[in-house]
Amino acid sequence: MKKALLNTTTNLILTGVGGQGNVMASRTLAGMLVDAGYVVTIGETFGMSQRGGSVMSHLRISPDSVLSPQIRRGGADVIVALEPLEALRVLTVYGNPTVCVLSNLRPVYPIGVITGSLSYPSDDVILKAFQRLSKSFWMIDATSVALALGNPVLSNIVMIGALAKTGLLPIDRRLFEKEIKKTLSLDKCAVNLEAYDAGGEMLK
Amino acid sequence: MNKLLSPAKSKVLFLGNEAIARGALEAGVSVATGYPGTPSSEVIESLASVAEDRNLYVEWSVNEKVALEVAAAASFAGLRSLCVMKQNGVNVASDFLLHLTASGTRGGLVLVSCEDPGALSSVNEGDSRYFARMLEIPLLEPSDFQEAKDLTKWAFELSETIGNVVMLRSVTRMSHASGNVVCGKLPAKNRKAHFDYDGPVMDSQTGPMISTPVVAKHLLHQQKLKDVKALFEKSPFNRYEGPAKPELLIVTGSACFLYAKEAFEILGIKRRAGILKLATTWPLPSALLKKHLLATDRICIVEEVMPFLEENVKVQAAGMISRMTGKSFFGKLDGTLPSAGELNPDIVADALGKILKVKRKMLPAAYVAEAKKAAALAPPREQTFCAGCPHRASFWNIHNAIALDGRKGFVCGDIGCYSMAALSPATGYHTMPTLHSMGSGTGLASGFARLTQFGLDKPILTVCGDSTFYHAVIPALINAQHNRADITFIVLDNAGTAMTGFQPHPGLAITALKETVPAVDIAAICTAIGAKVALSDPFDLAGTGKILTDYLAEKGSVKVLILRQACALSPEKKGKKQFEVKVDDALCVGEACGCNRLCTRIFRCPGLTWDRTKKKAVVDEVICAGCGVCASICPQNAIVKTQASQAM
Amino acid sequence: MGKKTSSQIKLKKDVLEQSLCTGCGACVGLCPYQFIYRDRTVQLHDCDLTDGKCYAFCPRTPADYAGIREKLFESGDLTPEIGAVKGFYLSRAADSDLRARAQHGGTVTALLELAMDAGIIDAAIVSGQNDAFEQEGRCIEERNGLRGFAKSRFIVSPTVAAFNSLPGDSPKKIGVVATPCQALSLAKMKAAKLEDHQKIDQLKLVIGLFCGWTLSMEKLHGLLHQYRLSFGALTGMDIPAGKNILEIYSKTGVTSVPMDEVDACVRTACRYCIDSTAEFADLSVGAARFGGECDEMRGWNQVIVRSDRGKELVELAVSKGVLEVRHAPAHSLQELKKAAVEKKKKALRQIVDKSRSKKNLLYLRSDDPVVKKYL
Repeated sequence: MKKALLNTTTNLILTGVGGQGNVMASRTLAGMLVDAGYVVTIGETFGMSQRGGSVMSHLRISPDSVLSPQIRRGGADVIVALEPLEALRVLTVYGNPTVCVLSNLRPVYPIGVITGSLSYPSDDVILKAFQRLSKSFWMIDATSVALALGNPVLSNIVMIGALAKTGLLPIDRRLFEKEIKKTLSLDKCAVNLEAYDAGGEMLK
Repeated sequence: MNKLLSPAKSKVLFLGNEAIARGALEAGVSVATGYPGTPSSEVIESLASVAEDRNLYVEWSVNEKVALEVAAAASFAGLRSLCVMKQNGVNVASDFLLHLTASGTRGGLVLVSCEDPGALSSVNEGDSRYFARMLEIPLLEPSDFQEAKDLTKWAFELSETIGNVVMLRSVTRMSHASGNVVCGKLPAKNRKAHFDYDGPVMDSQTGPMISTPVVAKHLLHQQKLKDVKALFEKSPFNRYEGPAKPELLIVTGSACFLYAKEAFEILGIKRRAGILKLATTWPLPSALLKKHLLATDRICIVEEVMPFLEENVKVQAAGMISRMTGKSFFGKLDGTLPSAGELNPDIVADALGKILKVKRKMLPAAYVAEAKKAAALAPPREQTFCAGCPHRASFWNIHNAIALDGRKGFVCGDIGCYSMAALSPATGYHTMPTLHSMGSGTGLASGFARLTQFGLDKPILTVCGDSTFYHAVIPALINAQHNRADITFIVLDNAGTAMTGFQPHPGLAITALKETVPAVDIAAICTAIGAKVALSDPFDLAGTGKILTDYLAEKGSVKVLILRQACALSPEKKGKKQFEVKVDDALCVGEACGCNRLCTRIFRCPGLTWDRTKKKAVVDEVICAGCGVCASICPQNAIVKTQASQAM
Repeated sequence: MGKKTSSQIKLKKDVLEQSLCTGCGACVGLCPYQFIYRDRTVQLHDCDLTDGKCYAFCPRTPADYAGIREKLFESGDLTPEIGAVKGFYLSRAADSDLRARAQHGGTVTALLELAMDAGIIDAAIVSGQNDAFEQEGRCIEERNGLRGFAKSRFIVSPTVAAFNSLPGDSPKKIGVVATPCQALSLAKMKAAKLEDHQKIDQLKLVIGLFCGWTLSMEKLHGLLHQYRLSFGALTGMDIPAGKNILEIYSKTGVTSVPMDEVDACVRTACRYCIDSTAEFADLSVGAARFGGECDEMRGWNQVIVRSDRGKELVELAVSKGVLEVRHAPAHSLQELKKAAVEKKKKALRQIVDKSRSKKNLLYLRSDDPVVKKYL
């Protein structure tokens, strides 16, 4: 697919639960976009918030300027979620009628849900919320694919592969491969590429 | 290639902290020291990763005060040095800092304080900019990533100009945000270290490095600060964007500058309002400031966390009070902006909108209503110990020992991941009611334990992490031992400074530069001060429980229990399961009398969830770290652990 | 809508906080929430179930005790003073070696050995001590192992917890040696016949022990300390009739402690107990106090047979020559009853003092005929 160059800012929020590889995914994505010639600002929180809490990376992809590392409310163009409840949570704050959502299907239950004091929204509730609060959305079982590849944490890469396939961002496999080669060993690169490709397949 | 060594003119995506590190490299830094703390740790980490290439000496010091002392020694020997810490660290270092600013420095010494407005990963949101004013040293605040690098480089020159420390203050949204940076040149050569001290007492380059004669040196220092102020007046890092005579002038710096710019976009007020962005926030460039104050009638100061800039701007305004008639100031002091917590573009836009009476574009009402409905269905996600975290097992043991003892003993908390036992009380099974600065848990425990004569007779416990032990606990522990405070002191030894990303500390046999060194043994230190010492694996619930109940029952002074088990996220453990853990449905009693979901309702490991349809506990294979502790707590032996065949 | 209070909280409010907990162990071993630690019942974590067995089985929670009596015993045998009586004897073990190791006449141990030999039970739960000198229930499956547990230490042992903790899949027939409170909790289990509590069907024999009171472990610890003794050195204890002292046997000899000092160490809960003869057991055994010269009677027990099961066992013991039985003179039963009534009256007075009302008798009901009679 040919990637159109963005001429305005694109605001992407990558969300999930601490430990799902949110930071790695946002940096990989940002690295690819810088490579493609954009000015990228990422806002992240990590440290203690990663311990089982909600995590969010704000990516501001601009043709020319550094932007606030925090996106305004209602200001997301794309939401990529490694966990469906987090997609919902982000959508209710940063969503707008033109936002696109790509979400992993597999829940990570909050402690309150595990103890029984809170309820996790049903698949149906989440689906309906996505329908009402986004322009378009995709839900994929990235974790199962990652598990099949041998490591659940690869679900973040599966999501990047799927994101590329949506055509929402000017990224492709070549940029991905170039980016991961900067930091990963050869065998790790191979399995990451597999995960990336598998993600793309899921949006066919 | 390490991206920190990227060639000049290359455009690199740097974390704010990496940009600071690169700036230091471009300035020719030789020595870098620090103590880990979010959001500061990556500066030292990334410098350590290029230490060999750049011939640097980098260390994780035992605490921030020592870090500054080590950095100062390099400065005294003519080298450029960097010292990095989070906001709390400046308090720790402040005793030496006060004396250091009085003696002055030689080689450029930059103190970087990465602060955490909103306390995203802290137990306070302290604003250490006041130290700069109190100690009369220059303060710089970068407002984007390029500036983070460039200002750091300039800070070294500035430090050598005034012969004193320069403070560079960053915030979480700068340190832990990333953006494009164009690299500058890396210098070719290191300086040579030499320390002269035989010269005249007032000669800062050859005399002794002391603060006396105090008044004379103080006056000299103040004179130099005036020179710095002159430099600040002309600095390109301070700039104005907007109309010549704005309806509203924003004075700001740091990440708040980016928020303010975003707020202008949100409100569409670019033609009406202007931004004076200051990178040199102490001492203020008065002439520059005056010029802009006179060009407008309304001034709003946007900053985090305290009204530091606001107060100082108002002092300047007071200096020309006759020309200030009819002008209004907005900021934290009048409530236009919140007086606590971090800011963001929305908060700033809301505040500026009110001043200028501009309404932001709203989403359709129906959409907002739907979003509100959906938000109500999203349960909050409470922070908790990770699956497989040794702290969960440790606090399980601690809770049970306290409950068995029956006298309502409690734990004085300390700083680390285990702080969560206080921040989210159910995570620590409601055992930890106090939490302050590093090492203060032991000091408080020492105090509580001496209140028996006034009627407070219950077991006093305290915890600290392995890194915290070296940082600030040792004096408090010795105090407790010397003053016969009957405390149970528990070291939650998870083999690294886990919360900030496994930086080494003196208890490990490795340094920041990966040199192998003899470890400083916590048990041996405790034994040497005369305390009773035991060691246990927190995953061994029976063994650990026995030691703790015995400790609580025993009268004495300091009783030490070292609970040793590596962090579940540590490089040697991450992604590897020791056990495969499964729930046997046939044995799980679930909600019935006899169990009532002890594992999911009380133990609360994120890896062990509750199947609402089957009404049985179930292990989430994706999240379970395979520690197997839950198998020891199940009353029915329904949780079965088997040695994992191979690591994932 | 009012939320129902959890059984655990009710147990805490009605029993633990009222100092009514006897430490019998009835609420322990059923779940992971309740424990006995140094003879205190500890609730380790919160349980929110409202129909918990802990509350149902506790001998100090309110229940229809008159109804349980009627259900488990023949109404013709019931006496207000000491519960059901099918027979009353003085007895001792025929085996003199056993007598020498046992408290008093060795009747309990002799009966347990016989019950095992005869296949009436496969295992017996008796009171023992752990390494920390804490009392605990021990399940003994070896008949020759019983003699090591034949001495009393006057501290309650959470014996019922040992019964509760037996593996669910064990088909074993169990006998329990129980104090009055323990016998009562086992009787509550029998009477309740809960669907998810099949274990109670394994209980084939309850031998009750006469009990005036037990000592608080913590307070006894203090008392021993005062006499320069330790739990570790203790070999036995006894209250010789008519001397108003407690004899403490240790490796270094006998220490006599005046009764008023001992009284200060009595577990608070025991002051509210109206049962001195283990009225809910199959048969109850105590030291012979009457019907003979004191020193001679020291080697004898008195036995109240209460149920058919108890009767069969005692008759078997006599026919097999395991027990020597003497005729109990009529006045000895009267003396026993008199003493039992005294304890009932005293306990009821204490209860009223505590609740400050004759209508609120804590765990007892004012319409229970026994309570009514002695209130």
